[in-house]
Amino acid sequence: MNQGRTSRQSFLGPDSDERIASITVGVVGLGGGGSHVVQQLAHIGFRDFVIYDDDVVEDSNLNRLVGGTSGDALSLLPKLDIAQRTIHGLVTGARVRGFACRWQNQPEALRECQIVFGCVDSYVGRSELEVSCRRYLAHYIDVGMDVHGTNPPIIGGQVVQSSPGGACMRCMGYLTPARLSEEAARYGEAGARPQVVWPNGVLASTAVGLAVDLVCDWTKKRRRAEYLVYDGNKGTMLQSVTLNHVDLASCPHFPVGDLGEPFEVEL
Amino acid sequence: MIEVRVSREMYEAMRADLARPHEFAAERVGFSMGRIGITASGCMILLTRYCSVPDEHYIDDPTVGARIGTDALTAVAHAIYHGRAKAEGVFHVHVHEHYGKTGMSRTDKAELPKLVPGFRSVGPQAPHGIIIWSLDHAAAWVWLPGSSEPVRADKTSIVGAPISVFREEWLS
Repeated sequence: MNQGRTSRQSFLGPDSDERIASITVGVVGLGGGGSHVVQQLAHIGFRDFVIYDDDVVEDSNLNRLVGGTSGDALSLLPKLDIAQRTIHGLVTGARVRGFACRWQNQPEALRECQIVFGCVDSYVGRSELEVSCRRYLAHYIDVGMDVHGTNPPIIGGQVVQSSPGGACMRCMGYLTPARLSEEAARYGEAGARPQVVWPNGVLASTAVGLAVDLVCDWTKKRRRAEYLVYDGNKGTMLQSVTLNHVDLASCPHFPVGDLGEPFEVEL
Repeated sequence: MIEVRVSREMYEAMRADLARPHEFAAERVGFSMGRIGITASGCMILLTRYCSVPDEHYIDDPTVGARIGTDALTAVAHAIYHGRAKAEGVFHVHVHEHYGKTGMSRTDKAELPKLVPGFRSVGPQAPHGIIIWSLDHAAAWVWLPGSSEPVRADKTSIVGAPISVFREEWLS
């Protein structure tokens, strides 16, 4: 029953509170995108969190890190602590398992999630998260933004849903060999990438909307995959045209049933 | 904690198969293959594929909902044998046609656990067990490798669109 604080979201379904509370949700990266995602998930009523970030808050993060304060930056508070503070401030009795490390160093908790949000910077990082989610039957929702060019600068971004059995990020044309190899060639290059709060908010909100629909099924769309492209200059979020040419209900890269840890076969 | 996890696609295929009428059996049974994944809270059984029981492998026995013969069990043993390289075990599955929490019936308790020692002898490194679906819940018992006693799964998840998570403690 939707009561009290969730009474205004009762359109999500009569058992939406229970459905939302039953889910274990993961957020990898608690910066510009992930801080929005965590805050919204807590507002909605998710109760079981697995979160990862090994970074601390600095002054340069405060233009976009939701929940972060000047005092946090002065004390170099871990981003993990801010996310935990946000969740516990909104959800009494929430279970939050936080890891101040790369998720690859403690992957076991992430495997328990039914939905994982990837708010990471690199294509290879996204690829590794997607692989883990596929092998442990979890939805992967990718959130990312970037700013290109200078005259004028162009704000872009994407929200991609990669689900077990459906088209993956390679199928959808988001993860391409060219992007991965270009990134590998740039490995080690210094320089902070431009980031601002409002595109992160739009992208995170869209990603959370996809997750709520996966849990509550309130639109009845039952998406097998999704790739939404954000144009921050136009203020639009449109489905990628690449999906017109993709079978969203299958994937040649992740065979159905290829689950759990990889195994060796003697030949 | 043990969680059993299945994709929505496989779950619906399994339910569709089990819902088909049979010439004489009152219900159908099936088998799901599954592997263990290690999690922070314990382990997860990931159901990898579903094996339907052919019509001719049922035995006409009006005293029970469904009885299968040696042909069916031989086919299961073959599946376990071929899954040994990846430690893939087998789970007996059937449906109880009611809503809410479910469990083993008297017949289930008398008959189903007797299947497991045979599964374990063919695939000792794999998990095996029993999964019973109700119309909106599930119950599962898992024999982990090396253990002759089952453990009741704490949670069963169907991951797809939509996601369904059935937790034992909610209704107990």
